[in-house]
Amino acid sequence: MIRPEVIQKFVSIVGKDRCKTSPEDLLTHSYDASILEFVPDAILFPVSTEEVSRIMALASAENVFVTPRGSASGLGGECLAKKGGILLSFTQMNKILEINTENRYAIVEPGIVIADFQKAVEAVNLFYPPDPGSATVASIGGAVMMNAGGMRGIKYGVTRDYLLGMEIVLPSGEVMKTGTITAKDVTGYDLTRLICGSEGTLAIATKITVRLLPKPKARRTLLAIYDDIDDAGKTVAKIVEAGIIPATMELMDKTVIKAVEEAFHLGLPLDAAALLLIDVDGDDATIERQSPLIAEFCQGQGARNVRTSSSEEENVQLWAARRAAFGCIARLRPTCLIEDATVPVNQMVKAIKKVKEICERNNVQIAVLAHAGDGNLHPLMLCDQRDKEEMARVEKAMDEFVEYAMTIGGTLSGEHGIGVNKAKYLPQQLSATSLKIQRGIKNVFDPQGILNPGSFLEVSPK
Amino acid sequence: MIAKELQEEVYNCIKCGICMNACPVYKQLHVEGAAPRGKVQLIKKIQEGKFDISEGFKNLLYTCLLCETCTVNCPSGVKIDRLFKAMRAEVLKKYKLPLLKRIMSTVLSSDQLLPFCMFWGRTLGNPLMALLPKNGKIGAISFSKLPKFNGKPLMDQYPEIISPSGKAQGRVIYFPGCANNFLFENVGNSTIKVLQRLGVEVVFPKDLKCCSLPIFLSGARQMALSNIKSNLSAFSRYDNVDAIIVDCATCGAAFKEEYVHILGEMGEDTKEAQKVKNKVMDISQYLAKFDLKKYLQPLKGRVTYHDPCHLVRSQKIKDEPRALLKQIPGLDFAEMVGADVCCGGGGTFQLDHPDISVSITKNKIQSIRNTGADTVASGCPGCRLQINGNLGNEKIRVVHPIELLAEAMGKV
Ligand code: SF4
Ligand code: SF4
Repeated sequence: MIRPEVIQKFVSIVGKDRCKTSPEDLLTHSYDASILEFVPDAILFPVSTEEVSRIMALASAENVFVTPRGSASGLGGECLAKKGGILLSFTQMNKILEINTENRYAIVEPGIVIADFQKAVEAVNLFYPPDPGSATVASIGGAVMMNAGGMRGIKYGVTRDYLLGMEIVLPSGEVMKTGTITAKDVTGYDLTRLICGSEGTLAIATKITVRLLPKPKARRTLLAIYDDIDDAGKTVAKIVEAGIIPATMELMDKTVIKAVEEAFHLGLPLDAAALLLIDVDGDDATIERQSPLIAEFCQGQGARNVRTSSSEEENVQLWAARRAAFGCIARLRPTCLIEDATVPVNQMVKAIKKVKEICERNNVQIAVLAHAGDGNLHPLMLCDQRDKEEMARVEKAMDEFVEYAMTIGGTLSGEHGIGVNKAKYLPQQLSATSLKIQRGIKNVFDPQGILNPGSFLEVSPK
Repeated sequence: MIAKELQEEVYNCIKCGICMNACPVYKQLHVEGAAPRGKVQLIKKIQEGKFDISEGFKNLLYTCLLCETCTVNCPSGVKIDRLFKAMRAEVLKKYKLPLLKRIMSTVLSSDQLLPFCMFWGRTLGNPLMALLPKNGKIGAISFSKLPKFNGKPLMDQYPEIISPSGKAQGRVIYFPGCANNFLFENVGNSTIKVLQRLGVEVVFPKDLKCCSLPIFLSGARQMALSNIKSNLSAFSRYDNVDAIIVDCATCGAAFKEEYVHILGEMGEDTKEAQKVKNKVMDISQYLAKFDLKKYLQPLKGRVTYHDPCHLVRSQKIKDEPRALLKQIPGLDFAEMVGADVCCGGGGTFQLDHPDISVSITKNKIQSIRNTGADTVASGCPGCRLQINGNLGNEKIRVVHPIELLAEAMGKV
């Protein structure tokens, strides 16, 4: 609990309207898109760097916990007030400060929703590639802190690859700049890329500078239908091996197809075992060259049918459906937990088989979605949070799968982060030395440990 | 508590947040409590007994346009607006409706009061004056932008049976709705004229009541019940009609969607409501089967179309009204950006939250302006009031599509 007189001091920084303590506000800021819940003591909505700086200085002086929050679309409790204290919501600090077409960069405030930002830059013929499935919800600030990946990872990389610099506020309240607006920069440690992906444990970003690309002239979506999910997986491996790099390669299994079709009525075949949704983009010549080639690979690996989208409108529909897949799945069962382990692409077919086998053995209902081009699996475990016994089985299945992914050279999490749930696995991937160094870094930034307490570093076994 | 099957809905929300950035209100306020996700989660807590219905919760629940944008965007298929509507009825068990809405609901649900208020309002030259705060505005709309009352309610202008010109090709019941009955007579006149011209006999029952949607959506279900039953029995008096024609998006939504749900949730018999649901058609839907070309003379100018929530989302009617407009020779049709985004009116929302309402409407007006249209068509009196009320001095006409169609059909 924060003492009322301390709350009053916070109010004097942001004003009464932007400091919320009503039970309704606290409860609606207690969750993200996972099943975790932690109720904060107060929520502040800063709108300027100066306010954030004063908030942090006060929090340091009073030893109050502060947890930054974007849109709360994360999947591991990273933005929840795990030990109470202040939740710092950036939903109202959401402006685009500059889009520079000459030098192709943009400066934004952390609260802006990724899709809104993408739309704005595309209007001036530029392109911000990182495209997490939740782009219509998630904020750029959140994406930076989580180093969000997404559907275009195979060709364009992840959030970190587009970060040029930041203005950050340290837990002490000090304001600092990292990076530059130039494309190249080797001055000192690369703090920008260190803070990116730190799950909001090192500093708070108040301004974010990202690199932009020229907008691709055109894109085309291919839809390949399979009777055997293995063939879909093999197609991906073949395409990657051949050195063709589509913009996206998404895999959906039977269960996902059914759920998506039920929600969107796109005419997807309900009897298919799997489908690949592949986007190629670039100039017309590239598209003309690549798409028949890819179609050939699909057919060569046993695709029953390969369809090319006929219009941009159809592209948009197909991708909207893919984006909503996580939600669609929830039509089947109330709760849906997403695994996020990522494996080398050539191991993907095996990994999918394995996760299915594990779930079957533990009697857990499963659907498989994958950013297949990067081997980033998203097995969706369907369950009901209210059923304790079932949840125990789900947890066991997850444990087994994570362990398996480690043995074939995979990583704990491709893009969702460690958060609360996966912290227990951390020592399986990171050595004691690595963890020691990470804790040391945390200590340099946040000696008092007031920023995002209860995060992965603290929760993981020492 | 709310109906059992609705209670289960909250467990289908996986908190993905897709509904948030679709919600016009959240996009203005950027506070989770105002987001559909936030309200669904609060309802879950209330159901589980972990939180009580509170004044704060009530305010959040009513900081909502009931535009249903969240529902159509929710990938998980959560019936978000149904939950909210049912919850409003729960909230009213604990808190009373605010005075203004109480007066409005009483007026709409009674037989005598409305003519009385109308008479009074008309005499004073300012409609609805009796109900108004004296600050020059009613909600988001200034007095000067309010429409005048019809000289005579539409219902009193026609006989019960209106014969078509020429041989009868069909027979329909017409439901005018309060807005057209009392305010926008030209809409009703146009509908009747077009139907007559097409050889359709129009039955115009004299004992129709307010569809009551504004009443039950504010939560006062019990108050709405007698109107609902009375309308259903009025409709059931006439058999061998092809359809029940509605030219108000809201009344259509009430008959096609709300009646069945509300009666069901209140434990009432839904058989009649189900029958009516299958019979009711928006005028734009009904006209789709006619070849109108030969009746139409050219009009001038450019028109754009705004999708009322109660048509595009409640009734899934999107193409039919556009098709009507596009058929009119000489009239240039321009689609606006975000045509299906709520205008910000939300029925009584604009009374309770004029600031949020106006800021949403501003975007709509800008969208309209960008098309260069001189006319915006929309089949909902609420949208019409809201858009017209916020157009300022601009010379853009707001009409019902049927009015343009009737114009193109010329004088009968
Ligand atoms: S879109 Fe549906 S599932 Fe997602 S948060 Fe909103 S209500 Fe919940
Ligand atoms: S009905 Fe409309 S205003 Fe209400 S929560 Fe849903 S999207 Fe928002």
